[in-house]
Amino acid sequence: MTSKRFWDWFIFPGGVWIALLFAVPLCLVLALSFGHVDDFGRGVYGFTLDNYKDVFDPTYVPVLLRSVGYALATVILCLLVGYPVAYFIARHGGRYRYALLAALVIPFFVNYLVRTYAWVALLSDQGLVNNLLVDLGLSQQPIQFINTPFAVIGGLVYGYIIFMILPLYGSIERMDPSVIEAGKDLYGSPFRTFLHVTLPATQAGILAGCVLVFLPAVGDFVSAQLLGGPDTYMVGNLIQDQFFAASNWPFGSALTVIMMLFLAVWMVFYLRRASRGEAEVL
Amino acid sequence: MSEPFYKPRFLRVFTGLVYLYLFIPIVIVIVFSFNSEKSLQVMQGFSFRWYSDFFNDPTLMDSLLTSVQIAVLTMVISTIVGTALAIGLVRAHSGTAKGFNILMLVPLITPEIVAGISALLIFSQLGITLSIWTIVLAHITFSISYVTIVVRGRLATIGTEVEDAAQDLGASKWESVRLVLVPSLWPAIVAAGLLVFALSFDDFVLSFFTTGEDAQPLPVRIWSMIRFGVSPTINAVGTLMMVVSISAVALAVLVPRLFGRRESGVKVLTGAEE
Repeated sequence: MTSKRFWDWFIFPGGVWIALLFAVPLCLVLALSFGHVDDFGRGVYGFTLDNYKDVFDPTYVPVLLRSVGYALATVILCLLVGYPVAYFIARHGGRYRYALLAALVIPFFVNYLVRTYAWVALLSDQGLVNNLLVDLGLSQQPIQFINTPFAVIGGLVYGYIIFMILPLYGSIERMDPSVIEAGKDLYGSPFRTFLHVTLPATQAGILAGCVLVFLPAVGDFVSAQLLGGPDTYMVGNLIQDQFFAASNWPFGSALTVIMMLFLAVWMVFYLRRASRGEAEVL
Repeated sequence: MSEPFYKPRFLRVFTGLVYLYLFIPIVIVIVFSFNSEKSLQVMQGFSFRWYSDFFNDPTLMDSLLTSVQIAVLTMVISTIVGTALAIGLVRAHSGTAKGFNILMLVPLITPEIVAGISALLIFSQLGITLSIWTIVLAHITFSISYVTIVVRGRLATIGTEVEDAAQDLGASKWESVRLVLVPSLWPAIVAAGLLVFALSFDDFVLSFFTTGEDAQPLPVRIWSMIRFGVSPTINAVGTLMMVVSISAVALAVLVPRLFGRRESGVKVLTGAEE
């Protein structure tokens, strides 16, 4: 038995598992997206482009655009909120660094549904936030948060910000502090130093964080379902509907394929960088 | 030091506020799980009412049992398969290994809904009735990648010297893996297993698409409860689930220390380099 063969056997079970239960099923989704619904409401394979025509129907295009918009807003908010936090922990956390990181990870291990549900309770018309606003005289009557884009995006930020902070932390921690000193001498102002030194030096973390937040945010349906309404539904809600309530699996598959094609660009970008060691791997 | 972010006071306050934002919803869930009344706005008094509701509800207890069974099965199988994959990927210098090092990340960065639908399609195509087993199969698929990443991180820090020495002393290749390599990987393997337990126990989306009618796991049950309206029982269930998954993660972080290593468990889990 050659040495190479020996080690390849270790790859075999996991490789086959992922191929059979991940790659092959993905191909089935692609195949079914060209199919149609038979008289009994079951999806059958075939070759028609009707489902794709439907995807780009004016009824659904706004949903697709909305999903991308919400996900982008989520990424930007996560970056703006996450960068200072990651920076603080990496540079000023001192011996509490790991404790601070651990505390950051804890909310992430609380069930996503329960966390989102907590926001529903907090933000509803009679919720604690509105009670507080009215009691403090900051608002005459309850403000409607639920069913607004803000609530849905807020839910997404809350759900995925950890995927931004961890890679950011990694790249900031790895940065050599002496380059900041050098930058200070070179550029003078703190802002320019940050722009020309710190930001480029932590680029790998920023890019990884943005992709790692964007990908799950685009496909999310929990936040829009619980914190939003029909006006804030995202492509995930639409897909989920096709597989349950509407029961149009071929159309749901076509929606999934379109979403995946769009996301594949970002996935390939991320994977290429990760393979060259230029992006943080969570 | 005059970098704009080098203003610890501003940074400290900002970071503090973010931690508040992260923890307030969770604290609310816990506090109101002990409320004596149905209200989610006013704390009327202390009681275990919602917990006893939960423990006296046979469907919810079934769901709890189902969730634990799924998480345990997922943990055991994916730990074995994932560890083997990690060892193969690091030790084999073949093209397969190189490609797979990257490919095995794909299940992790694919939106869960896509994985859920794919799994649903293959099961229906093969005529497999949805049950606890289909959920386990779906969970294992992404869990393998998690285990592989954690174990691979640990492997990268271990040279082949000890294995080579073992083989010089007459051990077969397989023995050197079983008796030398795997024992040195235990901290990472156990940590990865516990992490996967927590992820599987908490998973909603994959379970949602692959669950059958009977014995749905807890998150799927919570989903229908939330959609039927706000109920304080959810707070109690949520708090209990929190205790289970955070204990698992805390153990995962502590395990490397229990093995007498001085490195942090966080480091083992995130595969962070020195």
